[in-house]
Amino acid sequence: MTTTGTTTDARNLPALLQSLHDQGFTGTVRVSGSPGGTIHLRGGLIGAVETPGAPTVTSVLLTPGRIDDDSWLAACAAERDTDRLGGHLVAAGLIGAAELEVVCTAAVFDAAFAMAIGPPGGWTLDDPEPTLLAGSGVEPRRLTEETTRRIARLSGPWGAPGELARVRPVPVPDAGLRRGLSDRHRSVLTAVNGRRTARDIAFTLGRGLYAVMLDLIRLEVQGLIRWETGGPSDGRPSTAPRVLPGRDAPGGPAATGAPAGSADSTASAVKAAPLPKRTPGGAAWPGAVRARQEPAAGGDVFSAGSSGGHGSL
Amino acid sequence: MTTAVDATLARLLDSPGITGVALVDAVTGLTYGVAGDADEAGNGVECAEFAALIAERLGRAGAEGELESVIMTSTRRHQVLLAVGRPVGDPLLLTAGMDRERANLALATRNLGDRAAEVLA
Repeated sequence: MTTTGTTTDARNLPALLQSLHDQGFTGTVRVSGSPGGTIHLRGGLIGAVETPGAPTVTSVLLTPGRIDDDSWLAACAAERDTDRLGGHLVAAGLIGAAELEVVCTAAVFDAAFAMAIGPPGGWTLDDPEPTLLAGSGVEPRRLTEETTRRIARLSGPWGAPGELARVRPVPVPDAGLRRGLSDRHRSVLTAVNGRRTARDIAFTLGRGLYAVMLDLIRLEVQGLIRWETGGPSDGRPSTAPRVLPGRDAPGGPAATGAPAGSADSTASAVKAAPLPKRTPGGAAWPGAVRARQEPAAGGDVFSAGSSGGHGSL
Repeated sequence: MTTAVDATLARLLDSPGITGVALVDAVTGLTYGVAGDADEAGNGVECAEFAALIAERLGRAGAEGELESVIMTSTRRHQVLLAVGRPVGDPLLLTAGMDRERANLALATRNLGDRAAEVLA
């Protein structure tokens, strides 16, 4: 793989893509971080972007049934080269050339948006990989400008779009009975259940993440859903040690001065705590063992994610 | 380089008086292709937001069904936003600018509506 000094010295991903565009680069840019992703370039133009943060072209085509599974598998078997799979799908009459181009182009912009709202990471350059391409490709400058616009559009009282993406909206009672809703909004409303994030809903419906987030905002404005009252999660489970009844802990009854034997505090503590179990040769309380181990494990995960790159976004 | 979308849109310019036409994502406002004068076709984001606003207000007022078209007329031109039918997936908008001196609004709109399905062929 040949890269120039300008490429290796790029200060961020948009600058890198613009430099690769100027060189007419054909290959793959692997971006680390969360969610990270893969950017496929052909002749300097962006032909596809794939990320775990947004549905791929395949998901968008198969999940809502635009192309059925059997036809898709048959097409993949008939055309092994994924770069040419789009042409085969059109030739087989499974989808129109213009519609496929629309789906692929939308997926490029959506994946770029999904990658941009996550924490930045590094990148590496690699050889070309076969993938379903979006027509002639997208110019990096256009992709950057559109992604910037989308991030600005979704910044609001809830904070940055990344925080909104982690919220699990809840439907208000009888929201589905509201008249005048479009079919699209109704399908999003059906998918909202208090457990799914915008990304989950996008994958469930086979739609773009950005489009789903826009629809969620419109539904919230209309009073049909509400954001999770506890605020967005930080994406990491709690590792706080469990406080068992009768044990003093920071913030517990002994620390706060509340009567340790009061009926309410004792009842809630008993409900929350596991039954004590004796472990031969081990600690007296299983919860105490977990509390010592988990922070160390979590720290390893986070440090690996932040130091594995070759540059910064 | 002419894309598949651009090629299908270019055929719509055959109608008298149509000066620019674009295919726009009705949810995100992303423009997938343009033929003719892009300024005459209109800004994709603004067109999508405008159509969404109208659909939402119509729904609140009790209107049933999906929005089909929006037609705006000024002293010199017409601007038409036309929903494009799609088997599945987010809705699309065909946005077209027309020269009022040369275009017969009724005929041009009907022609666009009849040929909208061809855009995704």
